[in-house]
Amino acid sequence: MRARPYGLGFAFLGPSLVLLILFFFAPVLLTGVFAFTNMSTATGIGSGYYTVTPSLLRDLKAEGVGQAADELSQGAFVVSPETIEAARAAGVDGRFVDEIAAKLQGRSFENSSEFQRALKDLDSRPRAIRALKLAMDPFTASVLNVRYDTRDAAFSAISAAAPSLDADAVNTVVNRAYTGWVFTPSNFAALVSKPDTWRVVANTIAYVGATLAFNVLVGLFLAIATFYLPRSSASFFNALWLLPRITPVVLYAIMWKWFTWDTGFIAVIARDLGLPSFNYMKGSVASAWTIVILLNGFIGASFGMILFSGSLRAIPMQQLWASEVDGANRWQQITRIILPQMRWPILFVTSYQTLSLLSSYETIWLTTNGGPGNTTTVWALEAFRTALSNYTGNLQYGLGSAMALILVAVGLVLSIAYLFLFKFDDLISSPKIEF
Amino acid sequence: MTLKSKLAGSVALGLLAFGTMAVQAEDRTITVWAGGTGETGIYRVDAIKMAAELLQREYALSGKDIKINIETRTWSGWDDFKQAVTLAAESGSAPNIIVSGHEDIGPWAQAGILRPIEDYVDFDAWPLNQLYPNLIDVASYEGQIWGLPQDAEARAFYFSRNHMKAIGYSDADLDALPERVLSGEYTLYSMLDDVKKMQDEGVVEPGNGFAPRVSNGPDYWQFYQSFGGEMVDPETGKLVLDKQALTGMYQFFVDAVDKGVVSPTYLGRDFDDWHRGVVSDRYGAWHGGTFHVKQWESQFGLEDFFGTMQATLIPSGGEGGRANSITHPLVYLLSSEGSEEDAELSAELVTIASEPRINVLHAVKSAHLAIGTAEADIPLYANDRWLGFASKNLLPHANAIPNSADFGAYWTAMFKGLEASWTHTTSVEDAVKNVEAEAVSALGDKIVVR
Repeated sequence: MRARPYGLGFAFLGPSLVLLILFFFAPVLLTGVFAFTNMSTATGIGSGYYTVTPSLLRDLKAEGVGQAADELSQGAFVVSPETIEAARAAGVDGRFVDEIAAKLQGRSFENSSEFQRALKDLDSRPRAIRALKLAMDPFTASVLNVRYDTRDAAFSAISAAAPSLDADAVNTVVNRAYTGWVFTPSNFAALVSKPDTWRVVANTIAYVGATLAFNVLVGLFLAIATFYLPRSSASFFNALWLLPRITPVVLYAIMWKWFTWDTGFIAVIARDLGLPSFNYMKGSVASAWTIVILLNGFIGASFGMILFSGSLRAIPMQQLWASEVDGANRWQQITRIILPQMRWPILFVTSYQTLSLLSSYETIWLTTNGGPGNTTTVWALEAFRTALSNYTGNLQYGLGSAMALILVAVGLVLSIAYLFLFKFDDLISSPKIEF
Repeated sequence: MTLKSKLAGSVALGLLAFGTMAVQAEDRTITVWAGGTGETGIYRVDAIKMAAELLQREYALSGKDIKINIETRTWSGWDDFKQAVTLAAESGSAPNIIVSGHEDIGPWAQAGILRPIEDYVDFDAWPLNQLYPNLIDVASYEGQIWGLPQDAEARAFYFSRNHMKAIGYSDADLDALPERVLSGEYTLYSMLDDVKKMQDEGVVEPGNGFAPRVSNGPDYWQFYQSFGGEMVDPETGKLVLDKQALTGMYQFFVDAVDKGVVSPTYLGRDFDDWHRGVVSDRYGAWHGGTFHVKQWESQFGLEDFFGTMQATLIPSGGEGGRANSITHPLVYLLSSEGSEEDAELSAELVTIASEPRINVLHAVKSAHLAIGTAEADIPLYANDRWLGFASKNLLPHANAIPNSADFGAYWTAMFKGLEASWTHTTSVEDAVKNVEAEAVSALGDKIVVR
């Protein structure tokens, strides 16, 4: 028997596998890794470096390691035979080094501006300020604010600057001097302990639940309603309901903004009807929620409508004709024939929409932006703001990733729950008829 | 040699000379990104272009043929700008010069995004030797100077003169208001009473008595200070969360909502609509930057600022508090991107851009305050009535938010608490507790809770 050509199948799958790995598995994996770090704007994403700052010295003093702090903050610049040699080795102009040795030998300077002023009095100094500053480097005696790229370099510099410290103490200082990110499980603990988390969770449940109900029920209603319409009218209504989905999301959001603005369509109509007239998107919490649910609902309803319409057409017409012969009315046709056969599309739309609503934030971001206050802030929006976009520029990649990871976990759990709820096994069981 | 060959020789020589010149001319490109920069703030980047022109002439004098191209990009807001800078720096495509708020120095310096500017410029030489020392302090972090002050400002409380007169104030009363605010006699609660009176008497529409900033900003720290709050402990240098001051601040805004002078859903409204409201005398009192005045004049058609508005410090919240203002200087920062030569050139450019004659154009166009003594003496600046008022009455009482890598987390928590209490989502007490929980969980012992 000839071997099956598996190779060809893999060749066809190859490109999609690469894309899947690059754009799905890698981001999820990275999110998983980032979630267990304290990565932020300040730590950076790449590797950090080691630097002893005045704040660190102050903290060390407060913690009773005063001697180390004193030793590490000793005179910033020293002109000694060693530093003069270091300057020569570093390629500083020989005449300038000679003049420094002749006039400043044995002196130390507390800070760079003091040393710089002394150097400026020398005749052979470099004219360019940057060259002068570079010439100062070899005379640096303090470790204060010096950047060390590796742990070893920091260790030996700190040991040399503070000889009284033992290896453990130097290690402590080195650890504290590290500016980069470290692995930590604290993001999850922080999320659990923050009261704000639970408010955002409640908002998310309300948002996903209400929008999902709107999407599925309205989608189902539209599909069934248009099913009983003549083909041409049905197509017209289908096309009309597709508009929110095919309109670019930014444009769609802006249209809603205009619609609900202080002087927008709704406010004008409300005023004419003697109802409260205000900015319905941001003027009250209840109206803001209504708008958020409706504008997402209209996009989602059309999605349900298309899928449900397609599956409705797959129901054999003979069953409906037979039911009419038996005297069934429309409602009986819907409840006894149509809905029982639509369990699969309803499962699909419900689970797909749950997952997409859980991770969607763009329409909320573009419209209420989580407001008024933070009343319409949902989990995905909060994660996005935390990790990637906020006013203070304090991007907490680690915490934001932890939030995203929780979202992935919730999505997986819900998917499995849906499969059980809708008896997925029954749906895909083997056909009873042998072919 | 025939004429023809002579001609050919000359052409060849000419071409050779041209070719040599072309080889000698050096093209350098420096990129500048500026945040929070709208129409009136355009000199933040234009000053660099002017500096490039000057520097090219200076180079020419020393025989260097260098063409400096300046590529600029501005953002009117902060969120997108800070995101762009941070992510560009992480991906190795940051600009050479960054114009941002001084509070970004802390996190960006720690992340290695910046070069300390003190390594590239001479603060003992002109024009940097005449910069105000307090502004240089604002541009410093961990004992190093990271940026050159690009501007300074103060933030003010504004009253509608028309509406104040309608409830019984005379012109003389209004002129004396800055003094009463400074002395602590006129407080934030006095203001609430006045704007409530305006609403009760039908002078302004309900809910329009008080129009605070519509979004997050350094402005809200002023109200924390009005109730006696300190952002940083001067002795230990640690951040401070003063629960009593924060409670006072949140309660003030909740009281304003309860009095009906501002809506519970006010935060998040449109900034342009607020500007239009200010200029059309829709509100009784509001607060903003000194720079807003030029924006109202140039973009929103305000004609007589001094005839229609009265500026004061942000009033005290009552006992234990103080009238205050916050200055939020922007700074020129050098990114660690690019070569050493690019950094040196960028440093030269921002130094020249700090020339009083150049910086004064920004100050006057955007109603920002001078960065140095020489600039304050330039007639264009000295004769500007509003800048004079702000320099005399507001700036001396202004302080800056701290430069700390951790301040952003605290700030975000503070504003979330304000939003939650303002919209009555939580009580003031719970909002303060939440801020404490969030700040302590994010910062640990780097913040002192009082």
